[in-house]
Amino acid sequence: MNKTLNRRDFIKTTSAATIGVATVASGITLTTFASANKVPVTNEKRWGMLIDTNKLTEADIDGMVSACQQEQGWGSEVHSTGAQRPDWIKKLKVKDKATGKISNLALMCQHCEEPPCVDVCPTNASMKREDGIVLVDKHLCIGCRYCMMACPYDARSFVHETLSNQKEHMPRGKGTVEACTMCVHKVDKGEAPACVVSVNSDAVIFGDLYDASSQISQTLKTVQSTQIRADLNLNTGVRYSGI
Amino acid sequence: MNRLLVVFLSLLVGSVFAHTNEHANLGKQASSIKASGKVFHQSISIIRRMHPEFLHHKRDKTLRQGVRTDEYSLKGCVSCHANKNKTNNQYHSVDKKGQFCSDCHQQVGVSLDCFSCHRTTPKEGFL
Repeated sequence: MNKTLNRRDFIKTTSAATIGVATVASGITLTTFASANKVPVTNEKRWGMLIDTNKLTEADIDGMVSACQQEQGWGSEVHSTGAQRPDWIKKLKVKDKATGKISNLALMCQHCEEPPCVDVCPTNASMKREDGIVLVDKHLCIGCRYCMMACPYDARSFVHETLSNQKEHMPRGKGTVEACTMCVHKVDKGEAPACVVSVNSDAVIFGDLYDASSQISQTLKTVQSTQIRADLNLNTGVRYSGI
Repeated sequence: MNRLLVVFLSLLVGSVFAHTNEHANLGKQASSIKASGKVFHQSISIIRRMHPEFLHHKRDKTLRQGVRTDEYSLKGCVSCHANKNKTNNQYHSVDKKGQFCSDCHQQVGVSLDCFSCHRTTPKEGFL
């Protein structure tokens, strides 16, 4: 058998291989950039929120709560008592005893970098996505409520009654724990969370904390901001200014 | 003996007819897709056998990784396979007795827990 390769054959095979590689490579890039929803989220982003309590009025907070209820479909539970009712986002009034200054906060899941709820979960249902959003995987949740005990912000709720007619993007059911999802279904589509959209001013800013050019990073760089219970070193995704 | 044979044969024939590819409650959207001649599921037998695995796999990808494609999403199943009530034009729940999901699951004695959390009717104008 003749094993030597003549010049013409060599050019033929190499060019065929090059075209093949080029086709495959262009296919890969196309699928990567075609839609953000088709590829898993990465830790190149970290979603966060900055709430300016000086600009945020009480009416704004009420608007945020009702926008959340409308978007996620909670708040119309009829058989639950006061303490049992879900509270994904709540209005909180804090007063500085020394000066008498009163601030109104909108408090929800703070989407910690080191979430205590994830640490204590016995089934891995409480989880943090790569992009920093903390969620409950209700498929795995056994309703033990350890996470509710562990959360320093009292951000999680337990569903006490049978529900029907849930929102299509937000399955909710009796016996599972739930909390603010930072409207993950909207974020994955490139939109902002419902509560952020409901506020007309720039009192609430949503964005990528790792992107230095994003509005939230730029603002965090210039204004004084704080994390609630910063002493716990949880590195929250939701930050506040003006308190 | 002959009588026994007749009983046996009729049972055999009956079981053959019971396992045709037809489904009484295919659903509004799915019926129209089928009528238009388009193929949605490549193989009916694979989707029948494997749909729990497909759904389990997809649910983890969606919830944990944010992959929100239509393929094997429960939302997609419900939106195609829900039937409409002819009189009031409202959707039947897919897990209601005699509807697409419960039809087979009841027959084979499988109790499924999808719909204690997930919505059982499609949102109007989803597809």
